[in-house]
Amino acid sequence: MSAALYRLARGVRLRRQAGGEAMLLVPEGILSLNDTAAAALELADGSRDFETIVAALSKTFDASQSILSQDVRDLFEALVARGFVIP
Amino acid sequence: MLCELTYRCNLQCPYCYNPLNLGRLADELSRAEWLSAIDQALELGIVQFGFSGGEPTLRAADLVALVERATAGGAYTNLITQGTFLDDALLDQLLDAGLAHVQISIQAPETELAAAIAGTDVHERKIEVLRRTRERDVALTLNCVLHRLNHDTLPEILAFAEREGIRRLELANVQFYGWAYRNRAALMPTRAQVERGAELVAAAQARLAGAMEITYVLPDYFEELPKPCMHGWGQVALTVTPDGRVLPCPAATSITTLTFPNLRSSTLRDAWYSSDAFTRYRGTAWMPEPCRSCERKELDWGGCRCQAFLLTGDAAATDPACALSPRHDLVTAYRDAPAAEVLVPRRPDPALR
Repeated sequence: MSAALYRLARGVRLRRQAGGEAMLLVPEGILSLNDTAAAALELADGSRDFETIVAALSKTFDASQSILSQDVRDLFEALVARGFVIP
Repeated sequence: MLCELTYRCNLQCPYCYNPLNLGRLADELSRAEWLSAIDQALELGIVQFGFSGGEPTLRAADLVALVERATAGGAYTNLITQGTFLDDALLDQLLDAGLAHVQISIQAPETELAAAIAGTDVHERKIEVLRRTRERDVALTLNCVLHRLNHDTLPEILAFAEREGIRRLELANVQFYGWAYRNRAALMPTRAQVERGAELVAAAQARLAGAMEITYVLPDYFEELPKPCMHGWGQVALTVTPDGRVLPCPAATSITTLTFPNLRSSTLRDAWYSSDAFTRYRGTAWMPEPCRSCERKELDWGGCRCQAFLLTGDAAATDPACALSPRHDLVTAYRDAPAAEVLVPRRPDPALR
């Protein structure tokens, strides 16, 4: 991936329930997020590129850099394709 | 939760799903009653609110207050509008209140046809509003309901959306409830239109992948499998009508054999969990054959109860849109009937004003 800075598109909102469960609220829809996805999207505020986000996650999550990298790549690819995340 | 703030509308689109009698127009829930409904919904864990009608911006001040309340409760808000009253001042207020998504509809890609369908000449006004909304910090969807009269303009609709930089385009073939059911003989697209439409949209989806998300909602009457209407009756969605009735589906007033709970005499919790209207067709236990033994019963939930009622007179019947329905002939008969010329514009019955 290039050094694009990731951010949520207009009208896309991240929400954490009181119990910690996270969801992405989009036009007329809800996407449930696992912990890694929620944390990655919290970091996608327009100030960080892909590598920076993965590096930050690797400090929090007990997973190898390569697994985290693949997870976040898949997540961003899917959300960029639907216009919910902007690179 | 879809909040229909009013049945009033300055357009007269003959494909509107609103009920034919349009309720008693003046008997609308007050702002306080709506705020209570929002609070109850938030308490029940609802996180998506739609504001619709009629035309919801005809209650602009109330709309702003409701968007604000839902947003404060952590929920997401969608405004479904035809746009003609969405001026900059109202947009400012709605965005300050937290509005996340606006869906604006057009009737056709050009003025003359749009005016003929809407019964009033507001197309240019809509385009102006669309352009101004596009520049704001809010998600925007352009919607166009497709039917026999505008289906052939699909290439122009797609070109228009692309030219205007629209990122979300919803092309919904008309579904036949309310006024659309009344006008179905004139609105039913031809098979050639539906198939050509699917081809055009598939090509545009491939070409514009990543730039524009295009939804093409197929018309039930041309499918062999029923749609999983509302993802199951009373399972994930509810609608509150202008006069406070709570419905499992926006078209449910079509089913005249059901009595719906009303927020003036019931809580939202009781309406959802305990009312006869919500529990009657929830799940799969109510299903007749061929649904009961069908392996798809938890995929399509027996199809649409309103359509079953409108076509067969029995809301518990298998949706006739399904090829396995013993009354599938009802759908094929309408689908293949010659077009009617007469359209009845959506207008309130003066006797009920």
